[in-house]
Amino acid sequence: MGHSINSGYSAWLKRDLLLAYRRRGEAASPLIFFVMVSTLIPLGLTPESSQLAEIAAGMIWVMALLATLLSVDGLFANDYQDGSLEQLLITPQLLPMPVLGKITAHWLTTGLPLTLASPLLGVMLSLPTSGYLPMLCSLALGTACLSLTGAVGAALTVSLRKGGLFLSLLVIPLYMPVIIFGTATISYAIDGLNWLPPLAILGALFAASVALCPLAAAGALRITSAN
Amino acid sequence: MSWQWFHRLGSPRWFYQTSTRWLPLLALIAAAILISGLVWGLAIAPADAKQGNSFRIIYIHVPASFLALAGYYIMAIAGAVGLIWKMKLSYMVMKSAAPIGAALTFIALVTGAIWGKPTWGTYWVWDARITSMLILLFLYLGVMALQYAYHSIDAASKAGAILALVGTVNIPIIYKSVDWWYTLHQPATIKFTSAPSMHIDMFLPLLVMIVGFYLFYAVALILHTRSEILRRERKTAWVRELIEPEAR
Amino acid sequence: MYFASFQDLLAMDGHGIYVWSAVIISLLVLAWLIVAPMLSRRALLKEVARDILRERARQSSSTNTQGES
Repeated sequence: MGHSINSGYSAWLKRDLLLAYRRRGEAASPLIFFVMVSTLIPLGLTPESSQLAEIAAGMIWVMALLATLLSVDGLFANDYQDGSLEQLLITPQLLPMPVLGKITAHWLTTGLPLTLASPLLGVMLSLPTSGYLPMLCSLALGTACLSLTGAVGAALTVSLRKGGLFLSLLVIPLYMPVIIFGTATISYAIDGLNWLPPLAILGALFAASVALCPLAAAGALRITSAN
Repeated sequence: MSWQWFHRLGSPRWFYQTSTRWLPLLALIAAAILISGLVWGLAIAPADAKQGNSFRIIYIHVPASFLALAGYYIMAIAGAVGLIWKMKLSYMVMKSAAPIGAALTFIALVTGAIWGKPTWGTYWVWDARITSMLILLFLYLGVMALQYAYHSIDAASKAGAILALVGTVNIPIIYKSVDWWYTLHQPATIKFTSAPSMHIDMFLPLLVMIVGFYLFYAVALILHTRSEILRRERKTAWVRELIEPEAR
Repeated sequence: MYFASFQDLLAMDGHGIYVWSAVIISLLVLAWLIVAPMLSRRALLKEVARDILRERARQSSSTNTQGES
């Protein structure tokens, strides 16, 4: 009983991690995008440290969001193209569990590296010192939410030809609460307020996403890949 | 036995034929209420003490906003009914509800922006309500685009229904988040509609307009659904019977 | 009426352009929401009529080639 559910989750988690490792270069592109785009900000706006400090929290979050958005399309698309999505659909386990395994792998290869790289961006964008720990916490929880919600959009668009373009249109409205509370966590800390309440709300969003998104994504996969 | 009416309700043919009978009357009532509400609000009701006559835009802005939000829930419920009971007609209603809701959201945004100019001096303000309306427009466009992207009508309907339901769960979260975000950045919030503190002479035409807009929505939804029914059922015998007397 | 004259109704103490542009834009959009489905319904019915005529023509031509003249 417990064994069969576990083997669904961890089997697909390991598979996706292995595949990402084999395509290391491709898997690293969201991270590289994340870091490089942050150089555009001083170039486009100002190198002035005090001004950068004001927008650092928000900019880091926007870029993390965009980087995740770019990568989430590949969550199911690669499998769809080489036929392994069919294998996923006929697996005897309940579909949400393997899906959750894939989403976890996605977060481990996208959201977690982004989170770990964020202090570097904080330095480059003159983020005040009090913001670093909140930034790490909010990005860790937030990118997990983004992976989960993005998976639903990816499942809905997997069989469409220009699916990737669509994905942004569908998913960005759903991302907005995450970015609102993610940046609030950091700005609260910078302003000297207690930053745990917005982080707690982010945690609540995460809990809801973990519970619901795999179900929605699994349902969407069943429907859309019947095409 | 008692489910018979429910399943009959799900027949596109029944819907088309029944609406043919009742639509003219419904449209007449809707037009009457809308016109009288508009005249009342624009010409008869008193002007606002602070905002002057520009506040009359409220008689279009508020009803449109209500219907924009209600319309999304109608679309999502239609999608849910389609998913649960596999009712074709329900999917047709869902597909029809999307452009109507998007258009009403557009009206709400445009009238809100125009209202903002004489009131706050600028066409666009990132206040909670306008931002939420904008996000609602994106949600509508997403549902519309997703359905058009699929070639198979069945897959399109189901995918659209799932997206509409995902949006439904998110709408309260989004609204609350944006509301909270706005109070974070702008402590002094100016509310667009001080409905409770509105004088009764200004409030009554607003109620009339809200009722009128609901009726308008019903008429528009029925019209769009009828078109969609014809589009999907055009190979069937009963649709051909509609034409038979006309074809030579 | 709240306003003294029709001119006053149009002008609305200087706010007229805002109110009336909002009203006109909204009415145009609402009108489109009604007219568009009516037009498409008419077009669809015409299409069905054409299909019926085409089928009938095909049937009669096939019976003609079978039968006498």
